[in-house]
Amino acid sequence: MAELLQHLVNGLVLGGTYALLGIGLTLIFGLMNVVNFAHGEFYTLGAYAAFAALGLAGLNFFLALLGAIAAGALLGALCEVSLLRPLRRESIDTTMLVMIGVWIAMQNGELLVWGGVAQSIPHPFPTAPLVLGPVSVAPLRLFVLLVAAALIAASYLLIQRTKLGRAMRATFQDAETAALMGVRIERIHTATFAFGAALAAAAGALLGSIFLVYPSMGDLASLKAFSVVILGGLGNVPGATLGGLLLGVVEELGAGYVSSGYRDAVGFVIIIVVLVLRPAGLFARSERIG
Amino acid sequence: MTRAGRHVAALLALTLPFWLASPYFLHVVIMAGIFAVLALSLNLLLGYTGQLSLGHAAFFGIGAYTSALLTLRLEWSFWAALPGAAAAAGLAGWFIGRLALKLRGAYFVLVTISFAGVISLVSINWMDLTNGPLGLPGVPAPELGPWSLRTKGAYYYLVLAAVGLSYLACRRLVRSRIGRAFVALRENESLAESVGVDVTHYLVLAAVVSAALAGMAGSLYAHYTRFVSPEVFLFTYTVTMVIMVVAGGKGTLAGPLVGAVLFTVLPEALRAATSWQWQMLAYGVLLVLLVFFLPRGIVPALSALRRRS
Amino acid sequence: MPKRRAVFLTVLVVAALMAATALVEAQAPIKIGVIEPLSGPVAASGNYVRMGAEIARDWINSRGGINGRKVELLIEDNKSDPKEAASAAEKLIVRDKVPAIMGAWGSSMTLAAMPKLEEYGVPMVVETSSAATITKRGNPWIFRISPPSEMEALGLEQYVDKLGVKRVDFLAVNTDWGRGSIGAFGDMLKKKGVAVGAAEFMEQSATDMNAQLTKIKAAGGDTLFVTTAVEQITLIMKQAQEQRLARKIVTTGGSSSPTQLIKQAGAAAEGSYHIVFFMPWFPEAMPDGKLAKAFVDEWAKRGHPFEGLTEGFRGHDGVATIAEAIRLAGNDDPKAVRDALWRVSLMGVNGPIKFEKDGPAGKESGQSRPSIFVVQIRDGKVTLPDFLAKK
Repeated sequence: MAELLQHLVNGLVLGGTYALLGIGLTLIFGLMNVVNFAHGEFYTLGAYAAFAALGLAGLNFFLALLGAIAAGALLGALCEVSLLRPLRRESIDTTMLVMIGVWIAMQNGELLVWGGVAQSIPHPFPTAPLVLGPVSVAPLRLFVLLVAAALIAASYLLIQRTKLGRAMRATFQDAETAALMGVRIERIHTATFAFGAALAAAAGALLGSIFLVYPSMGDLASLKAFSVVILGGLGNVPGATLGGLLLGVVEELGAGYVSSGYRDAVGFVIIIVVLVLRPAGLFARSERIG
Repeated sequence: MTRAGRHVAALLALTLPFWLASPYFLHVVIMAGIFAVLALSLNLLLGYTGQLSLGHAAFFGIGAYTSALLTLRLEWSFWAALPGAAAAAGLAGWFIGRLALKLRGAYFVLVTISFAGVISLVSINWMDLTNGPLGLPGVPAPELGPWSLRTKGAYYYLVLAAVGLSYLACRRLVRSRIGRAFVALRENESLAESVGVDVTHYLVLAAVVSAALAGMAGSLYAHYTRFVSPEVFLFTYTVTMVIMVVAGGKGTLAGPLVGAVLFTVLPEALRAATSWQWQMLAYGVLLVLLVFFLPRGIVPALSALRRRS
Repeated sequence: MPKRRAVFLTVLVVAALMAATALVEAQAPIKIGVIEPLSGPVAASGNYVRMGAEIARDWINSRGGINGRKVELLIEDNKSDPKEAASAAEKLIVRDKVPAIMGAWGSSMTLAAMPKLEEYGVPMVVETSSAATITKRGNPWIFRISPPSEMEALGLEQYVDKLGVKRVDFLAVNTDWGRGSIGAFGDMLKKKGVAVGAAEFMEQSATDMNAQLTKIKAAGGDTLFVTTAVEQITLIMKQAQEQRLARKIVTTGGSSSPTQLIKQAGAAAEGSYHIVFFMPWFPEAMPDGKLAKAFVDEWAKRGHPFEGLTEGFRGHDGVATIAEAIRLAGNDDPKAVRDALWRVSLMGVNGPIKFEKDGPAGKESGQSRPSIFVVQIRDGKVTLPDFLAKK
C-alpha cells in the first residue's frame, strides 16, 4: 500500500508538469491548428533561461522562473509574427514543417551555445524529503506542483474571465465575426502562441530544476504534450489538465507494476485505447474553449 | 520535364555507377534511393488521402527487422525476405488503418505516433526476438545466383529498380479510380461518402500499400547497412520523411523523389562544408527558409514557374 | 646560348617543382578520423572524448608530429545514430582517406561502422564501447582499448568480499551497455556467492526513475549496482535519497564522473563507490603518474571542466595509440597501420596499452587490458575506498 501511495504521489507531481505542457499546446495545436513540433524547444528554452538567469545574472530562483516565462513569451511571439503569420494561408503541413525547422535550429543552436554537458539549476529548497506517513516527497517537487497548479488556475482564469481571453475564444470560434466585432485577429494569434510558449517555458524551468538541463530534453516532452492534448480534447484546457495528471499517474503505475522498460509504452497504449473508444478525447463533454 | 530531358535523366540514372566514381557518393545516392521509396510511401497517405502518419518509421523498422530476422534466423533468401518484410509492414498498416477508422486529423496522427512508440519499445525490450539494444549485426547481402550484391554498384541497381517499381506502382494507383477516390477523401470526405465512396475501405487500402512500400524500404536498408538496431524507429526518420514529402511537394509524384534526393544530399553536403557544430543548425535554418519561400514545396513551385513562363 | 639558357632554366624550374612537391608531400598532414556523439543525449561524453583527442594531437604535433608530419583530426558527429556512424565512417575513409579512425563511443554506433572497416580495409581503435560482441565478431580491423563489461567485472572481483556485498540489485540504462553490464557483473557476483535480486531498466533519456527505485526498495538488497551515464546517476541518487533508499551504491562503466556527481547530487552521492578507468583526483597513483598529471594540468589549462577528465582521457589514449601505430608503420597506408597496431606497446593515461588476440581464429580483433580502479565519495570528496585506505 505504501508503494502504491508513493507511486501515486510521484505520478501527480510529474502529471502536474505534463498538464502545464499540455495546456500550452492545446491552445496552439487545438485552437491555432499549428502542429508545433518546436513546443519542446520552448520548454528547453525556459530551462536554459532559468539557468542563465541564476548562474550568469545572479538572480534568485523565483525571479529566474519569471525570466524563463518572459523568455518563452518573447520568443513565441517572435516565431508567430515572423514565421507563422506569413504562412497562415498555407496548409497545416506547411506550418508543421516550418516548426520542424525551428525545432532543429533551436536545439542545435542550444547545443552550440551551451554545449552538450547537462547543467543543473540550483534551487533554495532543502534536499531532505518531507515525510508524510509512508510517502516521501522532496520540498522542491511540492513547490513545483504548487506553482504548476497556480499557473494552470491562472491560465483558466485568463481564458474565461479576461477581455483577452474572451477575444481569444471569439477568434477561434468564428474568426470572421470576431473581426467584425473589432477583435484584432493577428494580435490574438500572436498572444495565444506566446502564451502557449510561455507555459512550456515555465514547465521547462520547473522540471529543469528537478532534473537536469540539456539540449535534447524537449524531445520527449513534445511527444508527451501531444498525448496530453489529445487525451483532453483539442482546445480543452481543463481537459488538458486532467489529461496531464492522468498520464503522469498512469505512467508511474505502469512502470511500477507492469514493467519499467515499457513505461512509456503504457502511456501510448492508453492513448490508442482511449482514441479508439472515445475519439474526441476523454473529456469531450467538459467545457470547451471553442 | 521535357521528353528529351526525361530520357537524358533516365540514361544518367542507368549508368550512374560508371560515371560517379566515388563510393562515398554512391553511398549517398543509395541512401537517397531508399528514402525515395519511403517518401513515396508516406506521400500516398499524406499527399493523396490527406492523412498524416507520424509513425511511418514503425513500418520502415518492421520491414527492416522482419527482413533481417528472416534471413538471419530462418535463413530465407533475400528475395523471399523482401516481400516478407513488405507483407509484415503491410499487416501493421492494415491494423493502423482499421484502428484509425473513426479517427481523422490530429487523432489519427496521435495513434500513429503511439503505435510507433509501442513498436519501438517492443524492439528494445523483447530481447529474445530482436536482441534488444544490441541489434542484429551481420545481416547478409542479397545474392543473385552466384553473385553477391555486396558491392555498391550492384546494390545501386537494386535500389534503382525498387524506386522505379514504387514510382510506377504509385502512379498507377494514383491515376486509377482508387487514386481519384483518395483525392476525393482528401478534399471533402463527407461529400465523397455521400456519392458512395467507401471511405473506410480506401483509407485502409492506402494505409496497407503505404506501409508495405515502407517495409520494402526497410528491407533494402537492412541488407545494405547489414546492421539493424532499435534506432530505426527513431522519430528523426519519420521527421526526415515528412520533410522530404512536404518540402518536395506533397500530392505530386515527383515531389517525394526530389525531396528524398535533396534532403539526403543536403546533410552530407553540410557535413563536408561545415564543421560538425554547425551542420544541423544550418540544416534547420535552411529548412525554415525553404518552407518560407516555397510553402507548397519545390515541385509545385517549379510547375508554377513553368506555367508562368 | 639562348637555347642552352632555356634548357638550363627549364631544368632548374623542373627541379624546383620536384623539390617543392617532395617538400609539400612530406608536410602533408596525417589525418586521423574521429567519430563521436557530439549531439544528442550523450553529447557531453562525446565532447569530452573529443577534447582529450585534441590534447593528444597537440602534444604529438608539438613534439614534431609523426615521422615529421603533423597530425590532423577529422571530427565527425554520429548523433547517437548508427546510420550516421556508418555514413561518417564512409565519408572519412573514402573522401578523406584516413588511415585509421577512433570511435564510435556507443556500442551500436561502433557495430554499425564495423562493416565499413572490413569493406575498405581501415582499422578503428575503439575507445569506449563495452559490448563483448565487438571484439568477438571476427573483424580483424577492430582494436579496443576500453574494457568489455566482463573485464570490468573481473576488475571488481577482488573487492567484492571487502565491500561486504551479500544481496545485490541492478539498475541500468536500457542499452547494450547497461544490459551487458548486468549480465557480466551478475555472473561474477553469483560466482562469489552473492544473491542477485531485482534488475531494473530505464530508457536512455528517462529522467524519472522513481518507479524503478520503489521496486528496488521493495526487493531489499544491501547494494545497488548502477550502470548509466552521469546525468542519470545524478537523478537516481537524488531520487533514491528522496525515497530514503539506504544502501550501498556502486556505479560501473566508468562514465560516472564522481566530481560531477558531488557537484550536482551533493549529499545524495555520499558513500557511493565508482568503477573508473582514470583517477584525475590523484593522478600520481596512475601507472604513469607523470603523464597522468600532465594530462590533468593541460585539461585544466584549456578551461575544460574537471568532471570531463574521467572520459576525456579515452580520446587521448585512442589518438596516441593510432599515432604510435602510424609511427611504427612508417607510412599511412591503412593496412600497414593495422599490422603495426599489433606491435604497439605504449603507456597511455590509463596505463599500458598492448593488444591481445580476441575472437574467432584467423580473424581476431585486438583487445587491450586497461587498468581498472575503484574510488569512493566520502565527505564530499573523491578518495580511495574505505576498504583500501587501511592498506
